[in-house]
Amino acid sequence: MSRTEDKLGNFTPQDAPTYEAVLQCMRCGFCLPTCPTFALTGRERSSPRGRVALARAVAEQQLEFTAAVKEESFFCLDCRACTTACPSGVRAGEVMEICRSQSHQQFPLGHVGKSFREFILQRMLPDPDLLEKSMLPARLYQRLGIQWLVRHSKLLKLGPAWMEKAEGMMPHLGKPLRPQLAELTPARGEERGRVGFFLGCVMTLMYPEVSRQTVRVLAHQGFEVVTPKQAKCCGAPHLSEGDRQSARELAMFNLDLFLAQDVDYIVTDCAGCGAALKEYEELLEGAAEHEKLARFRGKVRDISEFLSEVGLRSAGLKPVNRSVTYHEPCHLCHAQGISRQPRELLGQIPGVELREMNEASWCCGSAATWGLKFSKESRQVLDRKLENVKQTGAEILVTANPGCQLQLAWGAREAGLKQEVRHLMELLGEATPE
Amino acid sequence: MISRTAIAHLQEKLGATNVAYEKEDLLVLGYDATPGVHHLPEVAVFPTTMAAVLAAMEIALREGLPIVPRGSGTGLSGGSVPVKGGMVLCLNRMNRILEIDEENLTATCEAGVVTLDLFNATATKGLFYPPDPGSQKISTLGGNVMEDAGGLRGLKYGVTRDYVMALKCVLPDGSILTTGGKSVKDVAGYAFKDLLVGSEGTLGIITEVTVKLIPPPQAKRTFLAYFDDIRTAGAAVSKIIAAKIIPSTMEIMDRATINCVEDYVKIGLPRQMAALLLIEVDGHPAMVAEEAEGVEAILKAVKAAEIHVAKDAEEAAQLAAARRTALSALARVSPTTLLEDATVPRSMLAETFAEIERLTEKYRLKVGTFGHAGDGNLHPTVLCDERNAEEMQRAHAFYDDLYAKVLGWGGTVSGEHGIGLAKKEYLARQIGAGGVRVMKRIKDAFDPEGRLNPGKIFDEHDPCTRAHVEEGFRVSH
Repeated sequence: MSRTEDKLGNFTPQDAPTYEAVLQCMRCGFCLPTCPTFALTGRERSSPRGRVALARAVAEQQLEFTAAVKEESFFCLDCRACTTACPSGVRAGEVMEICRSQSHQQFPLGHVGKSFREFILQRMLPDPDLLEKSMLPARLYQRLGIQWLVRHSKLLKLGPAWMEKAEGMMPHLGKPLRPQLAELTPARGEERGRVGFFLGCVMTLMYPEVSRQTVRVLAHQGFEVVTPKQAKCCGAPHLSEGDRQSARELAMFNLDLFLAQDVDYIVTDCAGCGAALKEYEELLEGAAEHEKLARFRGKVRDISEFLSEVGLRSAGLKPVNRSVTYHEPCHLCHAQGISRQPRELLGQIPGVELREMNEASWCCGSAATWGLKFSKESRQVLDRKLENVKQTGAEILVTANPGCQLQLAWGAREAGLKQEVRHLMELLGEATPE
Repeated sequence: MISRTAIAHLQEKLGATNVAYEKEDLLVLGYDATPGVHHLPEVAVFPTTMAAVLAAMEIALREGLPIVPRGSGTGLSGGSVPVKGGMVLCLNRMNRILEIDEENLTATCEAGVVTLDLFNATATKGLFYPPDPGSQKISTLGGNVMEDAGGLRGLKYGVTRDYVMALKCVLPDGSILTTGGKSVKDVAGYAFKDLLVGSEGTLGIITEVTVKLIPPPQAKRTFLAYFDDIRTAGAAVSKIIAAKIIPSTMEIMDRATINCVEDYVKIGLPRQMAALLLIEVDGHPAMVAEEAEGVEAILKAVKAAEIHVAKDAEEAAQLAAARRTALSALARVSPTTLLEDATVPRSMLAETFAEIERLTEKYRLKVGTFGHAGDGNLHPTVLCDERNAEEMQRAHAFYDDLYAKVLGWGGTVSGEHGIGLAKKEYLARQIGAGGVRVMKRIKDAFDPEGRLNPGKIFDEHDPCTRAHVEEGFRVSH
């Protein structure tokens, strides 16, 4: 292994894994049975242990940063199931996320690809206004009923598979929530504190009704809710695509914005955003004051984590007489270690019967854009999940992340399952009186 | 280096997806969980049928390639590491459970079946397959048989060897040897089966295993006892055995291990205690009640600091699962975990702990000790950094001294991990030059050309083997 001051083996200096991060793996193999891509392929290099070994070989100059290393970094779902399974504390998902960033440095995209990627990641996502306008044609398209026509005429079978899937996944779109939501929603009943609500991009665009319920529930639970309209994308898509620089810029903006709000907590109902917000501390290490990062990190909560921590005021909740099963979003259970709390909340809604499915914490195959890039493999991962859902016979499939919700709703519809797919907060919203 | 033609041949016989020859694939099929040993094979194959195993072996022999069998690569002595390159024969895609015979209480499966999958499949039929190595969630039956894997239940139920009834294996000349069967008794000639168990892939490639199943215990009780001094825990173990009580499990963890495991599982293990014992008695309810009483009386008599009883099966399972993570959890504190497998007669446990403490101090090392105390099988693990050559030297000196003591007490250098690459020298010390010579003659009888997993268990006095081990990583192309 050769390591000059700013370069580890065959990695480029910018955004490289640390040698310690790859050396930590003692190769016990405990991660193997938890990895969806290893289950699919049976290929060691597509397993967490194998991927970390590849990164180590690059660090030790046994291997160049080859196309296969790039391929594995993107084939990794980044579901973090291996992090949960690893007794040694290896974070293979994060090592791969960093390798994605290496991929862009070591294999620059062609001009068109690069411009397109930069347009999405550096122009659209950081700008909430632009993002909302861009969704206008999609809403118009649905309103005019073309969606119905297209779906039923199999017209899209002619197009590339991912486009068809993306079209099929689109839920019925309402108006984006962000412009409609008040900056300040007053608490109801006895006041318990002041909460900053981080409204995610996918939530405002695709699931405005879910987040509307989140804010309503928070208010009903006695919290004054501040929703800063200037909030930008959390940076998760950028981390996932290996654009760590844009992610840092967004993180810095959101950090300052929310710390200026004088809120006790920063709450989100999107597991992907929550996981990213909790990683600001590491992402911005050295770029922002440690005290600020620690203060921010200390306030961030997923909505279920938050309600469970402060205690749900369940008096007056209306019964929801339905049987439900719960799918754990990877970015909630593996990235944030939140498994108990959503189940606890479900248990506190009168009338709800929770039926556990097998492998509740196994990925659904959505994984940001993975489900569109690897549509065949994504389908296989999804089928495994849907079979487990089906076995429960529950009426509702509950989850807590928009990516999962899109994928599961699409999958359930395609497979003709009876389960409707809903966010935990929709259920809690239904139980919360006006 | 393997020829293009040979690769094409393998692809044709096994299917393209069952042959790996790109560097990125080979790189990750040349290690197991043993630190410091990593070598590149020239090709790796994933046969899915007996015919494919035969075809792959034939091509390997024609090409002059050594053949190294591999399951999931969780071994702890380097058994599946291709130290001389060649072909890695991965058996993990031969993973069908072929039969669970409820009349004869046996199960027959392909070599690549995962240990826990077999346990679960037999449990649904009301039967019990006891061997449960720490890596049972991913380790394969074939690998368990080849290394004679133990586990947490070894004390009462024995190790893999005690459950193997029949084996099907391929010899290097392409002949298929079936040994043993479903008969409970079998003294027909030499016990090939017993030679093959624990042979680490040096005698034949195992493709099918038939194991004995037993009825599961009706009741269990699980204790967790804490100690201020690890030697007291050792004394408790010796006294329980001397009282003629054989628990199914009697596991120990020292303070360093407790803390690492607790960092991971977060179930409230006592961080300040010097040691804990996890003890489980099982069997008929009346017997469990009686034995539990006996265990509790002894724990009180030796003055265990605290004694807890698991409130239900779920809590007991959680504790066993926590214990299984011990080795990997120790890897949290340092980049390298050098683990050993010393086993002593159980009456010597307290002395062994004292010796480990003395040597830890002498060589200024950080050591975490855990293991199957009831079996006298301990895993003192040096927490070190392979980049620090001087520290590694002290670690090796620690084990040299420890093994000298262990052998002097009539112990063994490996209780359940096998010899592989890591413990060849120690084995020679234990069985002597004469013992090694007999082992080589046995090897010659099965594999006269030395094609199967060369360089394992004993040295062939081929200077290459040693050089490669020390080099740690061989790039063969």
